[in-house]
Amino acid sequence: MMSRTNDVYILAAKQISVQPPLSDEWMEAPLRYGEQPYVRAVDPDYKQHFAPNEARRLGKILKRALLTSRQAMTASGIAKPDAVVTATGLGCIDNTELFLDALVREGEALLKPSYFMQSTHNSVSSLIAIDARCHGYNSTYAHNGTSFECALEDTFMQLSRGQIQTALVGAHDEMTPGYFALLSRIGYLGHAPGGFSGEVALSMMLAAKPQERSLCRLRGVEMEYHPTGEALRQALRRLLQGAQCRMEEVDAVMVGLSGQPSNDDAYASICPELFPHKQLLRYKHLFGESYTAPGLGVYAAAVCLHRQRIPAHLFVDCESGEQRGVRHILFYNHFEEKNHSLILLSAC
Amino acid sequence: MPRKAAITGIGVVSALGAGREPTLAALREGRTGIAPVRYLKTSHTEFLVGEVKLSDEEMTRALRIPESQATTRTSLMGMVAVREALAHARLQRKSGLRIALVSGTTVGGMDKSEQYYLDFLAGDTQNAYISTHSCGACTEMIADYFGIFSRVQTISTACSSAANAIMLGAMLVEEGRVDVAVAGGSECLTKFHLNGFNTLMILDRGQCKPFDARRAGLNLGEGAAYLVLEAEDALGGRGVEPLCRISGYANTCDAYHQTASSPNGDGAYLSMAKALEAAQLTPQDISYINAHGTGTENNDLSEGQAIQRLFCGGIPPVSSTKSFTGHATSAAGGVEAVISTLALQHSFIPANLNFAQPMPELSFTPAAGGDSPAPLRHVLSNSFGFGGNDTSLIFSKI
Repeated sequence: MMSRTNDVYILAAKQISVQPPLSDEWMEAPLRYGEQPYVRAVDPDYKQHFAPNEARRLGKILKRALLTSRQAMTASGIAKPDAVVTATGLGCIDNTELFLDALVREGEALLKPSYFMQSTHNSVSSLIAIDARCHGYNSTYAHNGTSFECALEDTFMQLSRGQIQTALVGAHDEMTPGYFALLSRIGYLGHAPGGFSGEVALSMMLAAKPQERSLCRLRGVEMEYHPTGEALRQALRRLLQGAQCRMEEVDAVMVGLSGQPSNDDAYASICPELFPHKQLLRYKHLFGESYTAPGLGVYAAAVCLHRQRIPAHLFVDCESGEQRGVRHILFYNHFEEKNHSLILLSAC
Repeated sequence: MPRKAAITGIGVVSALGAGREPTLAALREGRTGIAPVRYLKTSHTEFLVGEVKLSDEEMTRALRIPESQATTRTSLMGMVAVREALAHARLQRKSGLRIALVSGTTVGGMDKSEQYYLDFLAGDTQNAYISTHSCGACTEMIADYFGIFSRVQTISTACSSAANAIMLGAMLVEEGRVDVAVAGGSECLTKFHLNGFNTLMILDRGQCKPFDARRAGLNLGEGAAYLVLEAEDALGGRGVEPLCRISGYANTCDAYHQTASSPNGDGAYLSMAKALEAAQLTPQDISYINAHGTGTENNDLSEGQAIQRLFCGGIPPVSSTKSFTGHATSAAGGVEAVISTLALQHSFIPANLNFAQPMPELSFTPAAGGDSPAPLRHVLSNSFGFGGNDTSLIFSKI
């Protein structure tokens, strides 16, 4: 593989999720949800951030995406990124459901355009571009549980090729009660105890050059579909080689354990094999399950690298205490044991 | 020169038929595939549509898929088109190559969701179709039918989805992340889309009339189309002949409105200009423009203005083949990439059907079509989507 080894940087990240919004408070005092299977995001007071007509016009997913994007831009001092790349598993599912519901129940005669206009997956990415007047590259990945990794890899490639210098990368998924009920029925969500459904709005600014307050470096992204054990090991080797990093240097591996056995069992068999003797970290016990939850996992790892500290509550092994002086975190995610992804993040 | 992606196979199913041969024949004979509604169960029979003239059952049988297996029309059409593309590129099942599938779609499995929505709410008799709803699920059904893909990705940028998938596929090949990328898109006609576009009042009841002063909207279509892309410098090893290369591409954002284009076509201008720059070509090098040309008031004005501005030194033949296929939304960029490849290979300009009256705002009129006096060298294909998502691809003779 001739994939280049240039590092790219995560300059800033802002989130709205089931944890306190627009802050990293979860590092010190995470919110806990006990046995609830379905948790909506903790929304900030939008009145402080939007004009009343703007707030009314936009659905939840769009408001959250716009606010986290604006704050990531402000935090990084980049008002107009060269690219806007968004990941979303389900897109604007609220508006999609409303339009579909009206179509099926009331027939084809009396439908209104507003729900349809904000129903496409790329409504999020284009709204951000319209808001910031970004005429650059604008794309949206909608590939279930690996949407975020697709967006991150695309951005990584373009930054390391020098095609762009800055990019706003987002992970955005809302979860309606109706769709939660359907996804529970097919076993993807909602089998409490152990795991809950969350919501995601994450915006990160990435750049080819670091800033003084950059969170961390992104060293590479690898994805595999239905890999054999050997193909997965090769992907890991490619990732580490590309970054000139040795497995011994990796401090810990962040994984997508959610508390749902259908999801967790594969980690239990793959992790000891792929990452022997490595400490495992998790994030879905704090942020919940969602198609774009991996975005929050990468964000959580980035915050740990920035602060040089992994809090005890992220360790899968509950005997572990907090760890300091962390240099490299590997991120591993699988979706339904089909899609596997590996990401390497390093301290600046 | 940096590594470029060559096209070694194409596969298509659209209103013009299944396969590159019927597509080429219809284009050369000026025969449209747009017709009254026949397959979609809608009350809006007043609109003409570009349906694929195959039922789900017919495709299921032709693909030898068990009838009990839950599928969607989007994935069935995708399988038909990918199958042709792989065969065309002579890609065997056990090639030992690292192959990616990159597919664009937006409604995904909505055909089944709108059919079974009330069943979903009432009970669990149609649970299989809950899992087939998402865009990613539709792509994976296509991938799993072949079982040769080691990477699978879905792009969803509305009507530019397939063009963006081709762009990503080319990038993956150029970067050496994969040996082969099969890239394009698939999208079926749904009541969801037909009604959605109807609420925006941009559907023509007659045949669409791109770049015509009397244009009254688009005809929705459907289809799937994929290109097999591989590094030009690696072709020798496989002994396949390239059909052409992707010499440049760009995606930009109009950043003007969620569902309308800016009057000056700023996004469209930028995407064409940047694609030319990436291909190291000048506007004069382009032999033919396969326009987005939906036939809506807004698009054709905006795109036309952008073409006029960029190609001020002389406008090459321009046509919209949506007058043949209808607007296949997320698949359109794939269908038009196949048409652009066929035009290059056979040196002909596809016609812009139904044109009679020039647009007063434009200095050019669309091409009548026919054999090109000189061989085509470079074809520019535009695909624009909601949210001002503008993509231009340039296909070049090798």
